[in-house]
Amino acid sequence: MSDAARIPLLVLGLGNVLCGDDGAGVMAIHRLRRGWEMPAGVRIVDGGTLGLDLLALLAVSDRVIIVDAVRADAAPGTLVDVTGEEVAPAVYERLSPHQIGVADLIAGASLVDRYPSEVLIVGIVPAMTDLRLGCTPDVAANLDALVDRVVAELGARGYPPVRRSVPCGPSDDGARALGL
Amino acid sequence: MTHIVVDPVTRIEGHLRIEAEVENGSVTNAWSSSTMFRGIELILEGRDPRDAWAFTQRICGVCTTVHAIASIRAVENAIGAVPPPNARVLRNLIIAAQCVQDHVVHFYHLHALDWVDVVSALSADPAETASLAQSISDWHNSSASYFTAVKARLKGFVDRGQLGPFANAYWGHSAYKLPPAANLMAVAHYLEALDWQREFIKLHAILGGKNPHLQSFLVGGMATPVDPSSQSALNIHTIAALKSLIASAKDFVRRVYIPDLLAVASFYKDWAGYGAGVGNYLVYGEYPLTDGKDAPLYLPSGVIRDRNLGKIEKLDTSKITEQVKHSWYTYGKGDDEALHPSLGETKPSYTGPTPPYERLDTSAKYSWLKSPRYDGQPMEVGPLARMLVAYGSGHAQVKALVDGALGKLGVGPEALFSTLGRVAARGLETALLADKMGDWVDELAENMGRGELRIHDNEKWDPSTWPEQAIGAGFHEAPRGALGHWVSIWRGKIARYQCIVPSTWNAGPRDAKEAPGPYESALLGTPVADPEQPIEILRTVHSFDPCMACGVHVVDRAGAELAKVKVR
Repeated sequence: MSDAARIPLLVLGLGNVLCGDDGAGVMAIHRLRRGWEMPAGVRIVDGGTLGLDLLALLAVSDRVIIVDAVRADAAPGTLVDVTGEEVAPAVYERLSPHQIGVADLIAGASLVDRYPSEVLIVGIVPAMTDLRLGCTPDVAANLDALVDRVVAELGARGYPPVRRSVPCGPSDDGARALGL
Repeated sequence: MTHIVVDPVTRIEGHLRIEAEVENGSVTNAWSSSTMFRGIELILEGRDPRDAWAFTQRICGVCTTVHAIASIRAVENAIGAVPPPNARVLRNLIIAAQCVQDHVVHFYHLHALDWVDVVSALSADPAETASLAQSISDWHNSSASYFTAVKARLKGFVDRGQLGPFANAYWGHSAYKLPPAANLMAVAHYLEALDWQREFIKLHAILGGKNPHLQSFLVGGMATPVDPSSQSALNIHTIAALKSLIASAKDFVRRVYIPDLLAVASFYKDWAGYGAGVGNYLVYGEYPLTDGKDAPLYLPSGVIRDRNLGKIEKLDTSKITEQVKHSWYTYGKGDDEALHPSLGETKPSYTGPTPPYERLDTSAKYSWLKSPRYDGQPMEVGPLARMLVAYGSGHAQVKALVDGALGKLGVGPEALFSTLGRVAARGLETALLADKMGDWVDELAENMGRGELRIHDNEKWDPSTWPEQAIGAGFHEAPRGALGHWVSIWRGKIARYQCIVPSTWNAGPRDAKEAPGPYESALLGTPVADPEQPIEILRTVHSFDPCMACGVHVVDRAGAELAKVKVR
């Protein structure tokens, strides 16, 4: 892969938008895209529940911030993060509701010697992952905080996003996530 | 008698539980249960039918394109939209690409570990591995130094404890029959297939946009512009890129996948005697070769009963029903009813035990999957069904591929009705489609050449052109088998939506007549050497390529340990 095709910093939203808070990460990256302009070098991708299909992206990314619903012993809506050597075991132990896909993705990148130099999971604790388009109130109330966390992490890595004066795209998180 | 519970079945998307009784080293009874509810249908009611595909595409990360295709076909069928030739060809390419990629990933990354002992590969002699590899294929990566490097890489993972997908397997189990050299060759190709699939997936980016979820579907056609002289459309350059990706797929499938499949199968011929299942097969058919209604299909539709390849019945979709006697749903007119999906109901009614539990009461309701039936009978769907119906219909290319493989293994057509037959059929279908895809690219190029650039039928786009009530069905052969979506539209909105997904056909529970579903049936007679390590059960279940995510919903297993995470 030539350097031109490399992605210096990938922001990858994961989760199923039809399953309540499971889709929080995807909702968050669409909200990020709507409200913030990204500097060159950052690519935002809605990975849904694609799992191994995302290997092509991960393999050309230098650093990755995964935004996802993460189960933890904490109140719904709490922000959590997982990094370094905790990433692989964390996703392997059913951390995320679609863990099989994420575990395969992480392992796959490692197996083909394409593991990014940094993988950070910025997560939010879900309350409910049953069939529902959109997050529950506790999680929805903290989606902006989740977006702010991603913005801060981007800034800390030398890629500060710029807040848009006029948000772009529909205001409904679900419609944005589905591309409607 | 030993009662075995496999829960969850690993290396699949979603949640599947198998309970089995084992007596004298073989399965005497089995139950397949999906323990999570999804019910996507409920979220679609009241929505614009032209948007339905965007929702159904998100049902499952493994099968995004397939639910989009079935959905747009169902709505087109209801409102009478006819996609133009370019849209048909683009869809064929997307469908075939999904199938080729999915089958390769299933074989190497999900199913191979049931047959290949990764730990044994560590004791392989690279020189011996090289001569084995060179004896079955002229693939370039086959030198002793190449396999030495792969072995070192594998040893690195094991030494660092980074087993990842290789963890939690039954390494060293007596049911593994490959010599160390064959195991090392398979591990090398497992890694190569990972690299191959991330290149091949670029085909979807060309056809469907940069977003990993294809955005190019549209009721009435496709949204991908076709114009040889435009930079932002499918043009002469993209035709060349498609051709090169397809050529590399053909190469990988012909020189790696198929030789590996035959090599592995030759050590497991006894598995041609296990896993037959219900012996009935159903295929909706796929890859329309012309436009409009009743177009001929490259892979024909049809039904086979009682393994009779001499009689391919014409498919009549009005004979499809779903039953819920053993499913956690209720029907308005009673649970012994059999409802056609156009009149289907999705009313959840969980009566199972509170998790965690040891056993399901299989005399009552025991699964979140319904029991689909054709003319009252259980049917297997998937690559084996497709290859059998095509074979029985006299499809020349399928016949050549199937007979060639049977000849190389020295077995007759009866070997197809088995766990091994299912694995082989998937590989042969991959080869068939990789060969065929080039024709569709040529067709696209020819259309461009004569100025046929239409991609969409606008005539029925406006809901004011629709009747007050419209009913339609969309049929598709997904990698895992026959997929159907049924939609009822009332005054421009979805009034009812039902999906029957391949894994529901295959993994569904017993019906009102207590007839077992295909998994349940296929497990009968499966040998189990060690009830604590039932790898043989996984072989047969995985041979169907289960994907439970569409039928069901995944949540945390009760009692599952939460990994340590930092809380801010």
